[in-house]
Amino acid sequence: MKFEKLSKTITTISAVVIWWVLTEVVAGDSPIISEMGPVDAFRKVAEYWGTGYLAQSVLVSLYRLLVGLAISFVIGVGLGILFGTKPLVERSTSVIVQYLRMTSPLAWAPIAVILLGIGSMPVIALIVLAATWPIALSTANGVRNVSKEWIKVSQTLGATKQETLRHVVAPAISSHVLTGVRLALGVSWIVIVPAEMLGVDSGLGFMVLNARDQLSYDGLAAAMFIIGLVGYFLDLGAQNLFKKVSKAF
Amino acid sequence: MTSINRRTLIKLAGAAAIGAVAYPLVRNEFGSTATPVAPGSLGSLNVGYLPITDSAPLLVAHANGDYTKNGFNVETPVQFPAWPALTEAFLAGQVDVVHLLMPLALNLKFGKNQDIKIVSWNHTNGSALTVSNEINSIADLAGKTIAIPLEFSLHNVVLQQVLRANNLVAIFDGEPSVAESTVKLVNLPPAEMPAALAGKSISGFIVAEPFNALVETKGIGKILRFTGDVWKEHACCVTVVRGELVNDSPEIAQGLVNSVASAQLSISNDRNAAAKSLANGYLPQGEEAISRALTEYGSEYDAIIKNPDWNSERISFQPYAFPSYTEELVNQLKVTKFSQGADINWIKSLDPKSAHSQVVAEGLALTAIESLGGLGKFNLPSDLTRTEVISA
Repeated sequence: MKFEKLSKTITTISAVVIWWVLTEVVAGDSPIISEMGPVDAFRKVAEYWGTGYLAQSVLVSLYRLLVGLAISFVIGVGLGILFGTKPLVERSTSVIVQYLRMTSPLAWAPIAVILLGIGSMPVIALIVLAATWPIALSTANGVRNVSKEWIKVSQTLGATKQETLRHVVAPAISSHVLTGVRLALGVSWIVIVPAEMLGVDSGLGFMVLNARDQLSYDGLAAAMFIIGLVGYFLDLGAQNLFKKVSKAF
Repeated sequence: MTSINRRTLIKLAGAAAIGAVAYPLVRNEFGSTATPVAPGSLGSLNVGYLPITDSAPLLVAHANGDYTKNGFNVETPVQFPAWPALTEAFLAGQVDVVHLLMPLALNLKFGKNQDIKIVSWNHTNGSALTVSNEINSIADLAGKTIAIPLEFSLHNVVLQQVLRANNLVAIFDGEPSVAESTVKLVNLPPAEMPAALAGKSISGFIVAEPFNALVETKGIGKILRFTGDVWKEHACCVTVVRGELVNDSPEIAQGLVNSVASAQLSISNDRNAAAKSLANGYLPQGEEAISRALTEYGSEYDAIIKNPDWNSERISFQPYAFPSYTEELVNQLKVTKFSQGADINWIKSLDPKSAHSQVVAEGLALTAIESLGGLGKFNLPSDLTRTEVISA
């Protein structure tokens, strides 16, 4: 374990050094890239922190992400249970589901902006478009894999339909649902950045756009760094949360 | 040095040899009129542009073969979606010649310390404040959101002049309110503005043509004020190259400005033909809107044009950069508001009087004008001075 920690530290530091070499030495002549080194980026992160711009941007993006994920969770689990329990429904809608899943949420962006205007709503809508399918498909998979024997056993023991759902089906599909949520979280975090570049005036995607509008390439590097950092901790947090939830069942 | 510059140099070296042989032949053939240069003898130039009529001289020069006549190989100019992308491609050396909003060019030069030179004005006027149909006056803009192409743009400067004159306050953060007489400004790429207006996510925008004309022809909105009616014959976009091109290869810079000036003259002489050329694969908005943007400034605008005595055109074309304009622009930038994160220290410390000679490659435009028949052909005053008139 100790060795693992040490090697993690070394690779992380090496990555920053490589970042520095690429931006300051290899591309040192480029007026744009040479501003995007770690020193410039961290200085800008500190500046953004000081003005409150950083906290505001991160919180706005996280708010949109969580609202989008919550809506996706409700729709996704609902669809998943429907697909898992009614094979006919799943088969007859499979063309539409796969089609919608493969239409990039970003292709929907102009429609979202026209229908929902500027602000958080179109971004949340795009996240829902992206995040619903992983949850739905993963849940459906879980529902299909609930052993018929378990249900029969619980019914023989006199469990009501609700009790069966609560004590047999829910624990059995929980890990599948959680896998779907974690996938959805990853997709959403990727979608939110470009989604916030369209008709929005806050959030991390806007931070990227704004930095470019200001010709502030150290600001761009700072925004990229923060997007990665927040994404990393989101995934880490999700993993820990899911471990706890899994144990609870 | 970027690979493109290296390639250009190699081509130049080869071309120089050919040019040395070809030059006397060309000269014999054409006599002493214009500047006879063998096609391709000055090497290749890559031109980048945004889909707005500001780019017209750079595009018509390609369509009319002016670059070729002046000795360049120029591939079809490359269209970019928004100002940052065009600026980045220019700084990275992917394109050699671009038109940039003049405040953006000043930002590159004085804010980012980039070695760039303005070689000519692209055009004057040619922008407007366009609003949704229910807005009838500047006062109606209180509590509304208006899009600008970039904070470092003449549009931001002029819009704020107009807002101040009507006791409205421009803001970049938070929500605009009628009670506080605030108007929110947001950055949007020009191409996204008509859709945003149609979708009601903004109440108006101030931007270059032909987006204003496009909105008019589609009935989505209407023009509330022409920028050329606020600041008489203002420059908007300027033609910009990297400084090394002007310093190391003045003949290339001169050839480029000759091409631009020649295209400007041709547009002024036949605006409908220019609109046809531009609609043919260069600008996406269609001939109707482009033609309207180049020509229509007549009686239908009697109600909104406040300075008819200026005898302006909706857009005009001439290459000479007036020093008085640069000076006044710097002064105006100093009283213009920018968003919280914008680095504007350079504006505060920039000397309005000395900025012009530092950023403009002087002389190129006058040489071009001379070779094309003189100041009169471009409606320029013989003493080359003017007073900046602003009537917000």
